[in-house]
Amino acid sequence: MAEHKAPKKRLKPVGILLRPMAVVARETIRTTVNKPNTIQYPWERLVIPDGYRGRPGLVMDKCIGCHMCEKICPTTCIEMVEVELPDKGKVERPQVNLGRCMMCGYCAEVCPKNAMLVTPEYELAEFTRQDLIYDPFRLQYEDRPGLHVDVYEATPAMVKQGLYGVDRKTGKEIRDYPEVADAKCIGCSKCEKVCPADAVQMYEKGKNEKGKPIKRPKFDPEKCVGCEQCLDNCPKDAISMKEVK
Amino acid sequence: MDANGLYQFVYGIALWLMQVIAWPFNNLLGWESVGGWFVSPGVVDFLTTLLAALIVFFVGFLISITFIWQERKTLGRLMDRRGTQVGFLGLFQNFADGLKTFIKEHIIPDEVDKQLFNLAPVLLIAMSCLMMCLIPLGPAFYLANLPAGLLVVFAVFSLAPFAILMAGWSSNNKYTVMGGMRAAAQLIAYEVPILLSVAAVVVLAGSLNFFDIVAVQQDTVWFIIPLIIGFIVFLISAIAEVERIPFDLPEAEAELVEGWMTEYGGFRWGLIMLSEYVRGFAASGLIVLLFLGGWDGPSFIWPEIWTMLKMFMVFGLFIWIRGALFRVTTKQILSLGWTKLMPLALVNLGIAIALKMGGWF
Repeated sequence: MAEHKAPKKRLKPVGILLRPMAVVARETIRTTVNKPNTIQYPWERLVIPDGYRGRPGLVMDKCIGCHMCEKICPTTCIEMVEVELPDKGKVERPQVNLGRCMMCGYCAEVCPKNAMLVTPEYELAEFTRQDLIYDPFRLQYEDRPGLHVDVYEATPAMVKQGLYGVDRKTGKEIRDYPEVADAKCIGCSKCEKVCPADAVQMYEKGKNEKGKPIKRPKFDPEKCVGCEQCLDNCPKDAISMKEVK
Repeated sequence: MDANGLYQFVYGIALWLMQVIAWPFNNLLGWESVGGWFVSPGVVDFLTTLLAALIVFFVGFLISITFIWQERKTLGRLMDRRGTQVGFLGLFQNFADGLKTFIKEHIIPDEVDKQLFNLAPVLLIAMSCLMMCLIPLGPAFYLANLPAGLLVVFAVFSLAPFAILMAGWSSNNKYTVMGGMRAAAQLIAYEVPILLSVAAVVVLAGSLNFFDIVAVQQDTVWFIIPLIIGFIVFLISAIAEVERIPFDLPEAEAELVEGWMTEYGGFRWGLIMLSEYVRGFAASGLIVLLFLGGWDGPSFIWPEIWTMLKMFMVFGLFIWIRGALFRVTTKQILSLGWTKLMPLALVNLGIAIALKMGGWF
């Protein structure tokens, strides 16, 4: 076995002794003159910046119940529940299980009406798991601009031109929106009923041999939020999303 | 014995206490012989020794606790954080920690040598606390004024690694044995330079008594000025002797779990940690007495306060070194001790002899 020989290194006292001592002394003086870096948490708090991702919040008036937050949620902690509102009657609103929520903020990002917010609340401890499930009323939070998440899909070329998710010609926001396959549609007008944004209008295309009107949906791209509720509820799979080119 | 010393002061208190106890026996019951026994010199002397030992222990204990506080606070500032927080300036944190270790479960592993395992911390703490009464804090505050006090202190100072070796061996664990062996190796390497640098002080002072050494420094200059090399050698060796961070090989946390105290827990571990700081107290006390003039200083405050202030400054230097430097390896520590510090200590001794022969001291 070859004898292991450690390489001979001369220890230079300036480098290994004096410089560390000087650095430490400087640091000690700096932290003694100023305050140390520690934030004494229950008494002192950090300033929370805009867009801080605490628990999700909900603006009840803005929400249209489009299920998009439920679909995007990676931990499936959002569930749409029926609530009774004084002005709208029975509607569906999101309920969040904070025991599973990972504070990713996707729900606020996809929300077409900025009704889901990211709130600066981070002290969420409860005594039971049941208490961690926030129903829509408990989820409500004050609506202010710093809590919205506005992220648009854009290609690098668009970014170069300063156009973030906006159509170059029309100036409208680019998003997928549905179209109907005429041969498959049976004219049941279910899409009109489920559309949370009232973007679907049924129009009469003509009359069949029995003399009854043939109904077809018409999608209003101004109102459509791309939530795919019509897709999910279509009994004949006649609707598909037209993708952005 | 000094007429104004701690012993005399406590003797007065003990005598008064015994007279109070003896009074009903003499005057009410008429048992003169029992009352006389209470105030007899033997009984009063015993009580005095007990009380004085207690006072010295508590003072040393409090200084050691304050050292821990100082270390935690300074290290905190040095790492840009706050350090201890409990109580005024965090002073009560150590008492809280001590209480915590006190109420913890006392575990003795199955495979250890139980007698030695139990004996080792007792020995270590006894060795550390013995140094408290041998190191005088002032001209009046001392327990024992031995003619060769310096020799006794160094004898006791060098005994602790044997307790460490004993603890490491009896714990029956490879990490503890390695820690104990390293403690022994370190002791042998650093005992020689530390004694040689002390020999220079003894040559200059012409005495082995702390009071004479301090008196000589008060008359001439502090020994740090003629014996600066010896001071540096003594400082490095003292850090190695009390196993503080650049030289804490016996309890190298990164390699040996907690070194020789791996198997100890609860209050034993707490006492072992405390005894380390008591040894730090002894080391800084020795540095102050031998090189920094002891209680020499302007007389507007008590000399004991001067000693303690200097001790806190020396311990602050220890903390600074701990915060700044990295741990050396086993090879480096031994080569530093034998090839660097030993010749330096000899040079220092030569300077001291030359100064003495030249007639400056």
